[in-house]
Amino acid sequence: MFGRSRSWVGGGHGKTSRNIHSLDHLKYLYHVLTKNTTVTEQNRNLLVETIRSITEILIWGDQNDSSVFDFFLEKNMFVFFLNILRQKSGRYVCVQLLQTLNILFENISHETSLYYLLSNNYVNSIIVHKFDFSDEEIMAYYISFLKTLSLKLNNHTVHFFYNEHTNDFALYTEAIKFFNHPESMVRIAVRTITLNVYKVSLDNQAMLHYIRDKTAVPYFSNLVWFIGSHVIELDDCVQTDEEHRNRGKLSDLVAEHLDHLHYLNDILIINCEFLNDVLTDHLLNRLFLPLYVYSLENQDKGGERPKISLPVSLYLLSQVFLIIHHAPLVNSLAEVILNGDLSEMYAKTEQDIQRSSAKPSIRCFIKPTETLERSLEMNKHKGKRRVQKRPNYKNVGEEEDEEKGPTEDAQEDAEKAKGTEGGSKGIKTSGESEEIEMVIMERSKLSELAASTSVQEQNTTDEEKSAAATCSESTQWSRPFLDMVYHALDSPDDDYHALFVLCLLYAMSHNKGMDPEKLERIQLPVPNAAEKTTYNHPLAERLIRIMNNAAQPDGKIRLATLELSCLLLKQQVLMSAGCIMKDVHLACLEGAREESVHLVRHFYKGEDIFLDMFEDEYRSMTMKPMNVEYLMMDASILLPPTGTPLTGIDFVKRLPCGDVEKTRRAIRVFFMLRSLSLQLRGEPETQLPLTREEDLIKTDDVLDLNNSDLIACTVITKDGGMVQRFLAVDIYQMSLVEPDVSRLGWGVVKFAGLLQDMQVTGVEDDSRALNITIHKPASSPHSKPFPILQATFIFSDHIRCIIAKQRLAKGRIQARRMKMQRIAALLDLPIQPTTEVLGFGLGSSTSTQHLPFRFYDQGRRGSSDPTVQRSVFASVDKVPGFAVAQCINQHSSPSLSSQSPPSASGSPSGSGSTSHCDSGGTSSSSTPSTAQSPADAPMSPELPKPHLPDQLVIVNETEADSKPSKNVARSAAVETASLSPSLVPARQPTISLLCEDTADTLSVESLTLVPPVDPHSLRSLTGMPPLSTPAAACTEPVGEEAACAEPVGTAED
Amino acid sequence: MEAIWLYQFRLIVIGDSTVGKSCLIRRFTEGRFAQVSDPTVGVDFFSRLVEIEPGKRIKLQIWDTAGQERFRSITRAYYRNSVGGLLLFDITNRRSFQNVHEWLEETKVHVQPYQIVFVLVGHKCDLDTQRQVTRHEAEKLAAAYGMKYIETSARDAINVEKAFTDLTRDIYELVKRGEITIQEGWEGVKSGFVPNVVHSSEEVVKSERRCLC
Repeated sequence: MFGRSRSWVGGGHGKTSRNIHSLDHLKYLYHVLTKNTTVTEQNRNLLVETIRSITEILIWGDQNDSSVFDFFLEKNMFVFFLNILRQKSGRYVCVQLLQTLNILFENISHETSLYYLLSNNYVNSIIVHKFDFSDEEIMAYYISFLKTLSLKLNNHTVHFFYNEHTNDFALYTEAIKFFNHPESMVRIAVRTITLNVYKVSLDNQAMLHYIRDKTAVPYFSNLVWFIGSHVIELDDCVQTDEEHRNRGKLSDLVAEHLDHLHYLNDILIINCEFLNDVLTDHLLNRLFLPLYVYSLENQDKGGERPKISLPVSLYLLSQVFLIIHHAPLVNSLAEVILNGDLSEMYAKTEQDIQRSSAKPSIRCFIKPTETLERSLEMNKHKGKRRVQKRPNYKNVGEEEDEEKGPTEDAQEDAEKAKGTEGGSKGIKTSGESEEIEMVIMERSKLSELAASTSVQEQNTTDEEKSAAATCSESTQWSRPFLDMVYHALDSPDDDYHALFVLCLLYAMSHNKGMDPEKLERIQLPVPNAAEKTTYNHPLAERLIRIMNNAAQPDGKIRLATLELSCLLLKQQVLMSAGCIMKDVHLACLEGAREESVHLVRHFYKGEDIFLDMFEDEYRSMTMKPMNVEYLMMDASILLPPTGTPLTGIDFVKRLPCGDVEKTRRAIRVFFMLRSLSLQLRGEPETQLPLTREEDLIKTDDVLDLNNSDLIACTVITKDGGMVQRFLAVDIYQMSLVEPDVSRLGWGVVKFAGLLQDMQVTGVEDDSRALNITIHKPASSPHSKPFPILQATFIFSDHIRCIIAKQRLAKGRIQARRMKMQRIAALLDLPIQPTTEVLGFGLGSSTSTQHLPFRFYDQGRRGSSDPTVQRSVFASVDKVPGFAVAQCINQHSSPSLSSQSPPSASGSPSGSGSTSHCDSGGTSSSSTPSTAQSPADAPMSPELPKPHLPDQLVIVNETEADSKPSKNVARSAAVETASLSPSLVPARQPTISLLCEDTADTLSVESLTLVPPVDPHSLRSLTGMPPLSTPAAACTEPVGEEAACAEPVGTAED
Repeated sequence: MEAIWLYQFRLIVIGDSTVGKSCLIRRFTEGRFAQVSDPTVGVDFFSRLVEIEPGKRIKLQIWDTAGQERFRSITRAYYRNSVGGLLLFDITNRRSFQNVHEWLEETKVHVQPYQIVFVLVGHKCDLDTQRQVTRHEAEKLAAAYGMKYIETSARDAINVEKAFTDLTRDIYELVKRGEITIQEGWEGVKSGFVPNVVHSSEEVVKSERRCLC
């Protein structure tokens, strides 16, 4: 506003209703420009505002009123901008002009308008204008302007930028001068410009030849040097690291280097053959071979040539093959790595020199003799000479030549200011010279040859030294680089180098441009190779050794290394028709797998949360298979392997820390080797995952619930929703169902959740209600459990509530126990550990019930609870029938191992075939239904609160009743039938007792209930009547104690 | 009043190429363009001062990636050298909303182990009659990724300023708490300085003009 007000006063016009976007306003602004052709301190702000307003009007006119731009053209207003620019009127005006140019070229949509702005070489004069590039903002606007122009580049506009007659292409040459600018966004813009230019050059031969002949060698050689210097800095960062302190900086260096590789690949995939040949040559002979590959073999030798450490060298080569897929480049590089030797390198150098004497390809990582800017300047000089020879050139051309004079002077001053050595080292004197072009070219050529000869001599000397030093070694190894690759896999202490070697082999074999025949020579087939007859035995043996080391208790193999080993081994030996692996190798692999089984067993006994970890690790591995490219983006793998999670390094990329991580690692090693073994033997996986999604009951399933135990309840969710449901408990799941309207006795599942992830607690002020929470299986043991069900269940009376609670609690324990047994079967565990696990299972159950989250420390505290421990062992010791239980387990254990391989069925039938208890449980779930029918009929009277102890007694009796039922279920059907009538009379006395208040009477009556049941249940268990009575007496008190414990816990909750 | 800024934050603007990123930037940088009928005006780079609290200024450098998505090497480096960004989708284009997830995953891969602070922007809210994405579902998605959500319109000048200032404030809080730090070789955040006399004079002029507006 200030500017506008001022202009009104200065202009002497009083009109205030002027439309800001209109042709009339543009005319007015034109008037302002004509009156302020010279920039002064007084009118600077006015001019900036005027230019800004003109920009807005032009953009508006481009879309609304074509006469606006016509006026701009007629009055040649663009020239006013250029004149202002040339006056060096300071940063403020400069920034506005550059911004205006950005906006105009980016947004003008009419081609005619665009072509006008590009015509008369106006734009090129702006491009070569010497702005103050030390100003960050000017630099940013300038490079954005060039980028915008490059996005406008196409076959129709290219002639505005590339001048065939003067052989000049300022947009490109001025941009690449900033290729190594300290500011990353400037470098990014330069890359964009070059890529856009190369893209357009595919259809313009003259421009393409110009780029190749005048700019490719200096640009690419400087670029390669820039990248190589960065690599040396990266290696220095790795080698000077202590305690992972350099990790942040290293991460930045790695990311920057990957950007370089992606940029190179972006150039190569444009498929500009001429450029690709030059670039490939520079990459191979100036960077990859002399710096990366050379470092593989000459680690311990001094010498003058720059080198990088072995891990960094392997890492960088892996990245090349992961990112670049240009066939000529990757095949040449692979040829040297897989089959090359020192003498071959030496010989090839000579051959290259002979082949192309004009531009010898020196295989050496050396700094270019000239800066990019100077090289381009020299080429421009040649062009200038050519121009002057044309006598018919127009006067306009001569004027342009005159303008370039001051430009060159300014440039030289800038170079001196920078303190570069280019001037002193320049082959050609910087003073103006009248020498003819031929003489200049000859001198230039001779100097170039002299320089190359000098460098060649240095190279020869180095090669001779290297050859002499390795003379004895070469007799041992015919392929030193490949042998070094194998050697790195043999490190006994850790897998620091091995991981890089595996990544390199993986990257080479997965490279899209790679010739499969090259890989076949070392018997490393590409993925999905149709036919494999042989495989690389030395490599396979080393991979198996890695697996064996990984399965050791103190194994220093990281999970990422093991996973890569498995991938590479499968890639080598697996075909659709089967596995071509030798028996001796298969046997060694089986040995490693068995070691992994023993490793997991060690942790199986000790962890209460083992089951949760087991399933979590399986889920994690399944959901996140390895991605080598992502693995290699992580700079932390360049540092020596560490075990602490405090570095933030992902679990699979470091060694484990603490017992929890060691357990997780052991479980994963077991999974990987088991999977590998099954695949190589052509056997399907039939036991994992423990919970198969397809076997689970899901929402909207329709179930046949005839003869099932169902408990009606009202479910109140957190958001206040209230629904009527029936609760059904399966072996592994609980379901909430509603009746199916089309079929009597069937139910539609509205919710299904895993029992093992369930928590059940009573509600303090309501004996008919339960709070139930089911957590979603966590993706990691350390992540917070996420509830998928959190609701209050209200039953019709407290009896049903107690029954539901018991059923859910026991279901949870039983589900977890059965899964632990299946894990035991996987691990071929003997009987004794199984029994102990049952005990620990109880402990786990207790601790889990009391704790909201599965935290390791709390779990440990729970397991160390002396009360629980003592109780468990006391229970075991007191049961004389323990020997009988042992016999049963012995029978079931062989059954598990023998039946699991052929079994292909789902969880229910699978469970049935692996455990007798399962069928027993199923039977018991149906029998109580019949037994409870009479109980449901009578209405139970409400008891007053003072009689709470009586309720506890009733609980005991109820549980006592249910236990005999289960025992009866295990006996013959005849016995079941015969027992049914006796259960009915037992119920009646219980109900009648509720009416009486005498404690003594209850006690007496409860004792009298025991004798009728005992003989039958014990007879079914042992078949030895004489011993039955004492055993029953011992069993009963234990049950009562357990029953008493639960109510106390409930009260506490 | 001296023109001092505490920090310089580098921001990027990402999203599908059709959502109007350049237009949003232009609206923010100039604060005008009310009468242009089709606000597709764009600019690749701009810098501007933002006052997030009285007396506390942050210099923003805003870079747009328009036209460069086809080169992978370019987009990677953009992400890594920025401290924050606006992630745009077009509320009249459901596909652009569905791609928000892909943009975030892409960014995450290239930026690890660092993070970029993003604000999710539902752009073109002046075209409400053609809306295909409800505010509620956009807010839900933003919350799932820990982002704020805001709806903008460059044409009607709705919330454009606010989108940038909210993002700047969030980043500033993280810098104050030490969760984001200035690092050698990283250009996302740079410390500020007092410009010399000439610069100061120019900034004062700009500031005055803004006050008058």
